[in-house]
Amino acid sequence: MTSLVKAREETRRGNTLYIIHRVTILLAVVCVFYPGFNPGRITTAINRNVSLFTASISYNSLVSELERALMRGWVQSSTFVLVMIASIILVVGIALCAVGGCMSVGNNRMRRSGLWFPLAGSVAMTAGLTGLYLAYGHIVQANNKRVPAHFPGGFWLFAVFTAVILISTIVLIIQDRREKKELEDKMKMKESYNLFLLMLPFLALSFVFSYLPLWGWRYAFFDYKAGGELTMDNFVGLYWFTYLFENPATRADFFRVLKNTLGMSALGIATSWLPMAFAILLTQIPNMRFRRIVQNFTTVPNFLGWTIIYAVALAIFATDGFINNFLNNILGISANTNYLMSNSHMWIKMLLWGLWKGLGWNAIIYISSITGIDPTLYEAAEVDGANRFQKMWNVTVPSLMPTFFVLLLMSIANILSNGMEQYLVFSNSMNASSLEVLDLYVYNLGIGNGQIPMSTAIGMFKSVISVTLLFAANTASKKLRGESII
Amino acid sequence: MARDAKTSSLRYKTSFGDKLFMVINVTVFAVFTLICIFPFYYLFINTISDNDLVGKNLITLIPRGIHFSNYIALKDVSDFANSVIVTVSRTIIGTSLMVLVSALAGYLTTKKEMWHRSLWYRMLVITMYFNAGTIPWYMNMLGLGLTDNYLGYIIPGLVAPYNIILVKTYIESIPASLEESATIDGASAMQVFSKIILPLAKPILATIAVFGAVGNWNSLQDSLILMSNSPELYTMQHRLWVYLNSSSNLATAMQTGGSVTSAMLNTKVIKYTISMVTVIPIMLVYPFMQRYFEEGIMLGAVKG
Repeated sequence: MTSLVKAREETRRGNTLYIIHRVTILLAVVCVFYPGFNPGRITTAINRNVSLFTASISYNSLVSELERALMRGWVQSSTFVLVMIASIILVVGIALCAVGGCMSVGNNRMRRSGLWFPLAGSVAMTAGLTGLYLAYGHIVQANNKRVPAHFPGGFWLFAVFTAVILISTIVLIIQDRREKKELEDKMKMKESYNLFLLMLPFLALSFVFSYLPLWGWRYAFFDYKAGGELTMDNFVGLYWFTYLFENPATRADFFRVLKNTLGMSALGIATSWLPMAFAILLTQIPNMRFRRIVQNFTTVPNFLGWTIIYAVALAIFATDGFINNFLNNILGISANTNYLMSNSHMWIKMLLWGLWKGLGWNAIIYISSITGIDPTLYEAAEVDGANRFQKMWNVTVPSLMPTFFVLLLMSIANILSNGMEQYLVFSNSMNASSLEVLDLYVYNLGIGNGQIPMSTAIGMFKSVISVTLLFAANTASKKLRGESII
Repeated sequence: MARDAKTSSLRYKTSFGDKLFMVINVTVFAVFTLICIFPFYYLFINTISDNDLVGKNLITLIPRGIHFSNYIALKDVSDFANSVIVTVSRTIIGTSLMVLVSALAGYLTTKKEMWHRSLWYRMLVITMYFNAGTIPWYMNMLGLGLTDNYLGYIIPGLVAPYNIILVKTYIESIPASLEESATIDGASAMQVFSKIILPLAKPILATIAVFGAVGNWNSLQDSLILMSNSPELYTMQHRLWVYLNSSSNLATAMQTGGSVTSAMLNTKVIKYTISMVTVIPIMLVYPFMQRYFEEGIMLGAVKG
């Protein structure tokens, strides 16, 4: 009896049909999110960035470039409503297939019940594709040059998926009936697969939002204009990378931005010991209540966004702000300077705003470490006749060094990433040139000016250097402390 | 422990130099604390003082002619009221979904039986240290139809690798025997998660919730990048930034609001009031949540 079960187990394992079935479903699920394979792009007037999934959840995206055509009556809006409904049916069908695919890794009973899902799913997919085909017919019939009919390549792809899923499901159902497997009392799945399937949605999200953008690096190799297409005609190879350094204007811009980035990061690194000093000096104060108050109030700015910090800056330093009011009303000195409209010492000013926002908060980690230092160390130092400063320098500082070291390495690894919000909000016509850091430059260039290829190229440069620095920092940490930081 | 520190510092022979150090030290901290808190006091007294006096820049240290009508008038600045709805809703929805996902994903990554667990875990962790860059990310969001779309605020934030790691580390510190006994009693992975892990992991979930909520509340960058064509989807911070940069924009918004214009002489007051509205919730919540904030930063330190 057991050998029979074993034999059956083996036929199941050897069943390549199941593998084809599952892989096809997985591919179909992935393609749902990929705009290039949208089977519903029945006219080139539909935005090429609309995926099947987008078309099924957002009618506005679907017709984003068709407003005029719909207004003038070149095409009927019912056509696109049909496209959306067909897309929804298609997506639901694929979702059903996905459920079936998941169930196919379970025990016999679960696999048997699971086969009905892809059957229903592939029927729904057929219906959805038919709907899209009908909509395509409408466009052909309308025969308007400005809304040219286009038979999407993705249609064939999804038709093949549907066919494969439908046929494999039917064959699997027949095979399942013929084999007369013993059915368990309950649907069950091996725990390892069960856990993986529970994790799968999160992995998919991570893939879509963190790995898929890497595919966007291809824009750096094309002469792409916003809303245009990527074809072999506008493939330009490494043009943008050489342009960046050969064109005098962009080169000057790039080095100015790089100087700002490195300069402000260097200032940040040079003052990275301040939170530690803050913590050591604060813990010297014996009055716990005073310490608590200082800690509470100095950590608050850290939790406010940069817009608020800028609002504070305006309230204090603008022409109608506190400083001028104070000089005028209290000291009687006539003054109306707008301190924010100035381009002097911008790096230092940004550093000071950063410290105002983060110093108290960054000290907390050191304060907690200090309370954890073994008090006998201090007692021993006292017995040896150490005074207050000697104890700080010889006991407290060395025990905080590991933490300091890790944070220092991390800030070196992040030398190119100082974020854009701070510099964006403080920018004005006077100081923009000395505030523009790499992150902000990429934003201004890409989102502001629509220069997607160039800004992508710069972003690639930044990503690669950042990762290299991170690994270097990690290696340094391993060598020096025998511990990795990532 | 705290008393130990106190007595040991009292044991000093209080020399002159020591006293001087103490005086300077306390003064420096007092001044810095004042610098941290004064701007908010200044903003606040300007929002509750007589608008005429504020317009003439006469309110410096003490409020005069106290009234709260500015805060009530804000509801008529429809653009801002709209952005409050966007921010509040994304803070509630985005944070609660993120916490739920982090809890479940964090729990699942502790399960060694999972098919190829370490591969998937590594796949999540790598995303913390490497990203493709702003523009490819934007193009990806555009391709997914998540630009000018409220879901663009929610979906990308669901899987937060750092928070997943925090939850995982925390769950691993819970004695395994609790989970084992439940499994022996026949509980499934999901039952163990909802009945045992969720209640025990409450402290860490509160911590990531607090950080997530602050992040959502302060969100500016994703609104800037994703919602450039949909002013109705601007977050509060984005809207405030627009107003801070152009008074004309604010003046228009106030005029369409109707009654507001006559009550307010200048846009200064309304700018200050809007700033306070975005600050006050954090100030109010902070004292209660501080414990979680501090725990959060310590957890980050021991993450390893």
